[in-house]
Amino acid sequence: MKLTYIEEANELLANLEISLLALENNSSDKTCIEEIFRVMHTLKGNSSMFGLPVITDFVHDLETIYDKVRSGEMELNKELIDCSFLCLDHIKVIIYDADLENVVNKENHFELLKKIGGFIEEAGSISVNEKKESQAVRTVYVLFEPSAKIFDNGTNPLFLVSELASMGNSKVVPHFKLSENQAHDECFTYWEIFIETDRSENEIRDVFVFVEDNAEIFIKELPFKNVLKNKHFNDLVSKNMYGDVGTNMEELVHLLSDQQNNEPVADAKKEVVIETDVSEAGAIHSNKKVSKEVKEKGATSIRVSSDKLDELMNLVSELVTTQAGLTLFTAKNKTPELETISENVEKLTRRLRDTAFGMTLVPINNMFGRFQRMVRDISSSLGKEVEFVTEGGETELDKTIIETLTDPLMHILRNSLDHGIEKAADRVTKGKSPGGKLILKSFYSGVFVYIQIIDDGKGINVETIRDKAISKGIIKSTDNLSDKEILDLIFYAGFSTAEKITDVSGRGVGMDVVKRNIADLRGNILVESEVNVGTTLTIKLPLTLSIIDGLLVTVDKVNYIIPLSVITKCYSVKNEDMANNFNRLLTLDGEQVPYINLREEFGYTVQGSGETLLIAVNNGDRVVGITVDMIIGEYQAVIKPLGRHHKKQDFVSGASILGDGTIALVLDTNKVIDLYTNNIKREEKTWQLN
Amino acid sequence: MAVKLTKEEKTGVTTSFLSFKLAEEHFAIEVKKIMEILEVPRITKVPQTPDFLKGVVNLRGGVLPVIDTRTKFGMPQVDFTVNTCILVLSIDINDETITVGALVDSVSEVFEMEEKHIQPSPTIGARYRSEFIKGMINEKDQFMMLLDIDKVFSAADIETILETHNEIEEAVAE
Repeated sequence: MKLTYIEEANELLANLEISLLALENNSSDKTCIEEIFRVMHTLKGNSSMFGLPVITDFVHDLETIYDKVRSGEMELNKELIDCSFLCLDHIKVIIYDADLENVVNKENHFELLKKIGGFIEEAGSISVNEKKESQAVRTVYVLFEPSAKIFDNGTNPLFLVSELASMGNSKVVPHFKLSENQAHDECFTYWEIFIETDRSENEIRDVFVFVEDNAEIFIKELPFKNVLKNKHFNDLVSKNMYGDVGTNMEELVHLLSDQQNNEPVADAKKEVVIETDVSEAGAIHSNKKVSKEVKEKGATSIRVSSDKLDELMNLVSELVTTQAGLTLFTAKNKTPELETISENVEKLTRRLRDTAFGMTLVPINNMFGRFQRMVRDISSSLGKEVEFVTEGGETELDKTIIETLTDPLMHILRNSLDHGIEKAADRVTKGKSPGGKLILKSFYSGVFVYIQIIDDGKGINVETIRDKAISKGIIKSTDNLSDKEILDLIFYAGFSTAEKITDVSGRGVGMDVVKRNIADLRGNILVESEVNVGTTLTIKLPLTLSIIDGLLVTVDKVNYIIPLSVITKCYSVKNEDMANNFNRLLTLDGEQVPYINLREEFGYTVQGSGETLLIAVNNGDRVVGITVDMIIGEYQAVIKPLGRHHKKQDFVSGASILGDGTIALVLDTNKVIDLYTNNIKREEKTWQLN
Repeated sequence: MAVKLTKEEKTGVTTSFLSFKLAEEHFAIEVKKIMEILEVPRITKVPQTPDFLKGVVNLRGGVLPVIDTRTKFGMPQVDFTVNTCILVLSIDINDETITVGALVDSVSEVFEMEEKHIQPSPTIGARYRSEFIKGMINEKDQFMMLLDIDKVFSAADIETILETHNEIEEAVAE
């Protein structure tokens, strides 16, 4: 239970953060204020539902401020937003420590409460008088019709009615909708409430905030005063009490306007107002319909636990496999009817697969939102002006990829802010605008998603990197490296270019971890930089982790899948050429290409004659050939983990089940090549020792 | 006397066992550890694995690693017969439950036995590591070894075997 609360609270707080940031940029944005208020209200409700009074009260005070901002009683200023951020951070902490057992939390808590109190008082002193004038007592009509199932989630509608009634003088008229087959646990009562109050319509609506989806709520201001003591009014509304028919608004308005017409205050102008109101009152029903439609639209997304999604994905994967089996069987037994069925199943399976995979994808925006805040805090702590722009937040990626990506991206952004973007003064002397710009964008290209982090800072000086790498012994001074190769050195473990270590970045662990994390996701990272112009880091990632397009090949009757994304070309070579090849190079298309004989590598017998197939794959910047016995064709592989028994065989990134039920092993060619080069090194060592 | 009684009660629990054969030896495993018994499908050998890791098979859409129990116990390998089958076992390692397949020559029967009838192994040095054997069972005048499968088929064990294997290789290399 507590976990559900925390999970939901974190989500709400994330939303709150986004809205606050948006509000900071555009302080007049009414929708943001509304959103902030709504989120706070939900958070308060949740907290009180879970019996956490400390948080409830805290959020309540915060909410009060935003209510005042919303109604225009209070000015929004930087101080207030900064305070809100502090409060937000505090709530993030105390949702885990709701009883304030930690002393620091407790101190913080009271300090913030004081601060909030200060804001409220300040606002109160200005607005008390205004309030009295602007919000005179009016008569409000509220129709509250809970749905039959309202008891199911533990709501007691009577509490809501009495809360409402306490807002001023009121008249509550209950009605019953009795029907034949009423279940005993269904709600069949609805209420009409007339209140004389100075509260705004929003405040009244807030009473129902938790039942909005479970009830019809209609609120209308009546253009009459002091009607509750009016005998005619009481007669009219009580006439139908406990009955199924609500108050006839037209009749009521007529009656009351007649009455008020007789009063001296009434004039022609008022008449007009009433006229229009009558027609509006008649439209109550159509209004109700509209609100219902809106509600139905609102409930189009549901929460599903990721376990269920995983299960669904597993089932779909199995279906894909089974379908491949059916296709295989159909190809062997050609029957027209069977072929039609098989084709249909194939189509459906593909659609089902795409839909199911689509469900596990989430927009990258969720992650970008988190960075907004981080960039704001870091740049202000570093005293730098930074404009942070995110683009392509709607790009969707597998949830697990996004989770794994958060830390590396955070690290890169920190680096850019700390080492990339210069201080305002430095920027001006370089002829740049004083404020730096940091762009985080993502976009699709083919089956890949690209994420770029672009800054317009001082860039990376190739010479500095080179000198540093030499002094650290990573490269030799005689090594002749291209600029690109030198830039790639920043991903080397233990390489930190920052002259000064700050708490933001520069501990020398990081970029290598970043690279490794991204490689684990079967992606890669590229760095481009120009001195004084800026640095661009590009991360290339597969759309999903669990399905790849591959080439199905065999080596000694065992099926292997090589990801299509790494394959550049296939060749046919003679085994004789390889049999006595001294330096293991083949000439392909006029280029010398190193190769690995998989048969040899995997310990099968090596063929001395005949032809064999060679697949050229990308390995970093070079191309390496890998020989296989046979190429069967393209295959869409659903990747399954091999399990811990085969942890050591990391050159096999997983297994995929073929149509005939047998297993093909998915090769990670980069690891195969690593393994080979390591073995060669070991052999050389032995040879040297002997 | 009273103490003895409670002890009696404790060991009076009846457990089901499955017996199987490897070469001419009889073994037993608790039935609760066995999820199912499979015919041998086509096994895909993963390259560069120790010999006792026979490969992987498709278990209803999942990947099941298969261990050659004969090799694991140092017995010679034989060709599969109609009786060869795979016991799908669920084993616990470090609070994690994983599924592995164990190749055996043939399964014999399921029988019930009170736990008190399990005798300690009297061996003074077996071909199999003694920690693999929980005890001896005498069922219908046939002695069989009760295996502690969590230990026999644990990946941790496999990892250490692999590491020592590699270490030896490296030592040789240097």
